Amino acid sequence: MSDQTNPTDLLVVENIHTFIGQFHILEGVSVHVPKGSITVLLGRNGAGKTTTLKSILGLTPPQQGKVIFNGMEIQGKRAFNIANLGIGYVPEHRAIFRQLSVMENLKLAERKKGDFDRHSEFIFNLFPDLKRLYKLPGNHLSGGQQQMLAVARALVPENKLLLIDEPSEGLAPILIQQMMDAIRVLSETTTILLVEQNFIMASQLAKRFTIIDDGKSVHSGLMQDLVDDTEMVHHYLGTSIKTIREREISHESQE
Amino acid sequence: MNPKNKKTLTIIIIVLAVIGTFVGLYFSAGKEPFIRTALSGLTLGSLFFLVAAGLTLIFGLMDVLNFAQGSMFMLGAYIGWQFYTNPTFIFGILPQILAFGCGVMLVSVIKPYLIRLELSETWVKALPKAAYFLALVAMVISFIGFDILGLAKTAMVAATVTTAGNPLAEISAQEPLSQYWFRPLLLLVSGALVAFATSKPGNKNEFAPKDKMLHKAIVPGVLFLFTIITTLIRIPAPEAVLLMDGNWRFVIAILVSIIFGFVFGAVVETTLIRPLYVRPTFIIIMTLGLSYVIRELVQMLWDPLAYQMSRPPLFAQLGKAASLGEWLKNGNATIDIAGVVFPTYRLFVILLGILMFIFITLLMTKSRLGMIIRAGVQDPQMVEALGINVRSVFTLVFGLGIAMAALGGIGAGPFLPIQPLMGDSYQMQGLITVVIGGMGSYVGAFVGALVLGMARAFGDYFALKYSLSTAIAEASTVIIMVIVLLARPQGLFGKKE
Repeated sequence: MSDQTNPTDLLVVENIHTFIGQFHILEGVSVHVPKGSITVLLGRNGAGKTTTLKSILGLTPPQQGKVIFNGMEIQGKRAFNIANLGIGYVPEHRAIFRQLSVMENLKLAERKKGDFDRHSEFIFNLFPDLKRLYKLPGNHLSGGQQQMLAVARALVPENKLLLIDEPSEGLAPILIQQMMDAIRVLSETTTILLVEQNFIMASQLAKRFTIIDDGKSVHSGLMQDLVDDTEMVHHYLGTSIKTIREREISHESQE
Repeated sequence: MNPKNKKTLTIIIIVLAVIGTFVGLYFSAGKEPFIRTALSGLTLGSLFFLVAAGLTLIFGLMDVLNFAQGSMFMLGAYIGWQFYTNPTFIFGILPQILAFGCGVMLVSVIKPYLIRLELSETWVKALPKAAYFLALVAMVISFIGFDILGLAKTAMVAATVTTAGNPLAEISAQEPLSQYWFRPLLLLVSGALVAFATSKPGNKNEFAPKDKMLHKAIVPGVLFLFTIITTLIRIPAPEAVLLMDGNWRFVIAILVSIIFGFVFGAVVETTLIRPLYVRPTFIIIMTLGLSYVIRELVQMLWDPLAYQMSRPPLFAQLGKAASLGEWLKNGNATIDIAGVVFPTYRLFVILLGILMFIFITLLMTKSRLGMIIRAGVQDPQMVEALGINVRSVFTLVFGLGIAMAALGGIGAGPFLPIQPLMGDSYQMQGLITVVIGGMGSYVGAFVGALVLGMARAFGDYFALKYSLSTAIAEASTVIIMVIVLLARPQGLFGKKE
């Protein structure tokens, strides 16, 4: 486990502890996110991956430990202040605003006037569907469209870091592929911290990983090393690497 | 049947039922009584809406059921009436309030420096307490010898003694500036001490960057400027206001009520409600308690008597106008509408309700704030994660909601007796309106208010016609609520949980 602080790290999470109510959810999570690549948080359901993202953003502020973004300590700041430093958040369960139209969802995410106009071309190139659905209310969108809108919303303002929580959850395989392509395009310009249950997707996208188990970060390193470490994957993620490979092959043969 | 057709069918049935009811009422009451009662119903509905709109807006965004809305309605009426009849009190106390506010707002300027002080733990704990204590002492000293009760009652004297003749006769002599100046100054110090205490000097866990200091100084700076201006115009201003044209004075009185309501609401939200968001039931008890506190304060300041506010000149001339144009020219008190003589002021109240509805609709659908409110109703955390300060949006919306209630109060002022309990029945009807319309829906509040106003007016009419107890009219609103809740537990326009 590498603990040295690297100057190329855009985000460093150092041993944070987070409580929700009386429950000690995070009991020491450390994550390093180097600039310009995708880092993925892995772990079982309920391990604390989503809480880690929320703790970084200040939605569930950590009681102990440090969060350093772009060289500045941000733990204890209010969430809107943290977001305004240039962090975009794509929550799980496609939490778009259902009462707002697609356009309003995107406009709401503006931090400066005209943010949306500046980036609309990029967004609609990435998700052409959204252009067609522009005036529709959020509750008329399908699950996949909502997920795209949730990602698109994080692209409206100028963001240095994107926190993306389970973008593939509940999507059809073809949409997963589209989402992966989009995230890959994004990673060329932005740093991304991803939470992903779908190991295939995670292993194809991410450069680095951190495994969170039972509220603690237990391993981190390069993704390519993890893919070969069948035992560790099995131990912490409960999936055998062999079945992943098989599924991957069958998935590719379908295309 | 597909759900869309079903929805259309439901709407058609409801519209037919409403038309049927009105046709039935028309023929059973006759033309003239029908029009008169319907107009009364609209007036009542408009008032109900002004109370309910704020309630539903506040409830929709922050799940706070404000039981003090009726008291704020009453307070709005008092402030507007005071300004309209004799504003000596308002101008007399304004410099002090502004000075204190200016002091408190200094927190954004001094906090970044104070929290960086190196202090021992005992000082960190003791300093805020000492500052609060000194602030209280300064506040008490600043009010010693200040005749606040006498000032408040000037409007009552004016209302009872001089309606005709010289409007300036009742302006009471006030402390000259040479004696008065230390009061706002002491309150400025008191406010600054509160700011000192709330910024928690030496506390390393607090967060306040030192950037944009000039930006942060704007609010206290503006307040300081206003303090000085109001201190200087304290004595001549009431005279100038009373010499003004009555209609304009009324318009300004309405604005004063709205501003007062907004500031009061914002202060209540930040000081009393914000610490309790984690305990929603406590908020209900707190607002309920607040309504009693407000009522007692009003009784102390203005006596527990009922006062009648005189109507502005546009609605005061005796005799009825035959047409709208004639009314606007002569300012008649009543107008002939299809053979029915109806007070013109009530038309104004109806207009006020409609304007309010248009304003809220535009606010919610066209403005960024409305977008934030609609998004915040669903998921305030995500709104915050987009970089929007949800806490200040809450303050803004609470202030807006209370401003609406205050507007309702001053709107009702010229035709309801102004007294400490005048808001209570409107609180109740406002709650019923919100429940019928669906919690959090402003369209629902509008429709609910219309339904309730009509039910109330026609209930009264038929109770009188068939010599029944008027309690039936009062009960009718609750009966409607029960029927609506049995058919649609979420209210007419509410969303399913």
